[in-house]
Amino acid sequence: MDILRHLIPYISKIVSAFKKRDQRALRKLNDEVMKATAVDCEQVCFDVVVYSYVLSKIVSKPRLLGPEFRSALISIEHVLDRIEDAIESGNKEEALGLFFELQKAIGRLEERDPRFVIGLVTKGKLKMAATLYAQGISLGVAADITGLEKQEILDYAGETMMFDRLKDEKSIAERMKIARKLLSD
Amino acid sequence: MTKDILCDSGVLISLTAGCLDNVLHFFAEKNNMRFVIPPSVEYETVTRPMSSNLRKHLFSAIRIKDAIHDGIVVVVDAKVEDEANRMMNSANNLFYIKGKPFRLIQFGESEMLALALELGIENILIDERTTRMLIEAPFKLKEHLEEEFQINVMVNKNSFRDLTSKISQLKVIRSSELIMLAYEQGYFKNFENMQKDALAAALFKMKYSGCSISYDEINSYLSTVR
Repeated sequence: MDILRHLIPYISKIVSAFKKRDQRALRKLNDEVMKATAVDCEQVCFDVVVYSYVLSKIVSKPRLLGPEFRSALISIEHVLDRIEDAIESGNKEEALGLFFELQKAIGRLEERDPRFVIGLVTKGKLKMAATLYAQGISLGVAADITGLEKQEILDYAGETMMFDRLKDEKSIAERMKIARKLLSD
Repeated sequence: MTKDILCDSGVLISLTAGCLDNVLHFFAEKNNMRFVIPPSVEYETVTRPMSSNLRKHLFSAIRIKDAIHDGIVVVVDAKVEDEANRMMNSANNLFYIKGKPFRLIQFGESEMLALALELGIENILIDERTTRMLIEAPFKLKEHLEEEFQINVMVNKNSFRDLTSKISQLKVIRSSELIMLAYEQGYFKNFENMQKDALAAALFKMKYSGCSISYDEINSYLSTVR
């Protein structure tokens, strides 16, 4: 309940920014909600983070804002309104179910003009999973939370600087000493 | 005598994705090494991609299945569920943030650690950073979390004692060190005057496949080889 109360100001702003097709506001909100909820490890928080990112990506693509996508965009807005209501009324289970509906609504938007093998929601989840892993949560937990394959997360993480930002305890010479011992034992 | 080394899913994934899994065959033949995995790793890297037709990962799955078929990778099913759960609970109650325990690892990761203890295997091949840091430098992990979240992280001393008394003696090797070791053992000799280039390319490939190694570490090692 507490966590949902914490999310109310963010979800209201996210819905409003999407309706205004304001990409900058959505990206800013994505950063803010990520920072505010990262340590809570709650599925509903992860969903808000992932979808604020995905919505910002939708708004950033002029091809998805044309008249042929209008009905799909309105469906997304309707689901967002229901998510806002569920969060405001403290109904976590309903909110989680509605995020699944949101995923389907976004899928319908994309299927009219598919361009990539992976969809926007998967892309958002990948970014989220790699961020969690970079912050210190294990790869397995990041995969659990996002429902992604470890291999997908590893590929994404491998293309970031996350392994360069944290200095290792052991030098490579010490590590090779251990590895060589494996052959001599 | 065979030398057993326990292997996590990330290593198998990185090696097969980089088409470097022949390194496993190389060490098995040359040094009588066996790469041991728990059933959960087989499920994750072979069974699930194949049964769910995860096309992007099928080739890796087939290569790992082939290595299991050849006896290079050995699936060992020991009854470690209780100990794995205990270790997972200790790890997930090790750090407290805002008064709440912080979930660090999942069952598959603690199962690896429990299996190492049960089988008396000292060396584990692991590319995943959090579990590696939990073994080698838990306080560094605490500092990292504090820096990332800009918040104080409290340590549960009981969980810390329980966990470190079990896992701190484990020796961790990443897939990158396995490649470096293979180089030193002549794995790249067919590349003749491009051996060092092939080694560098292989190490960068492992990094881009998710092995938790930095550019500095790769360059540091490359500066020591001829």
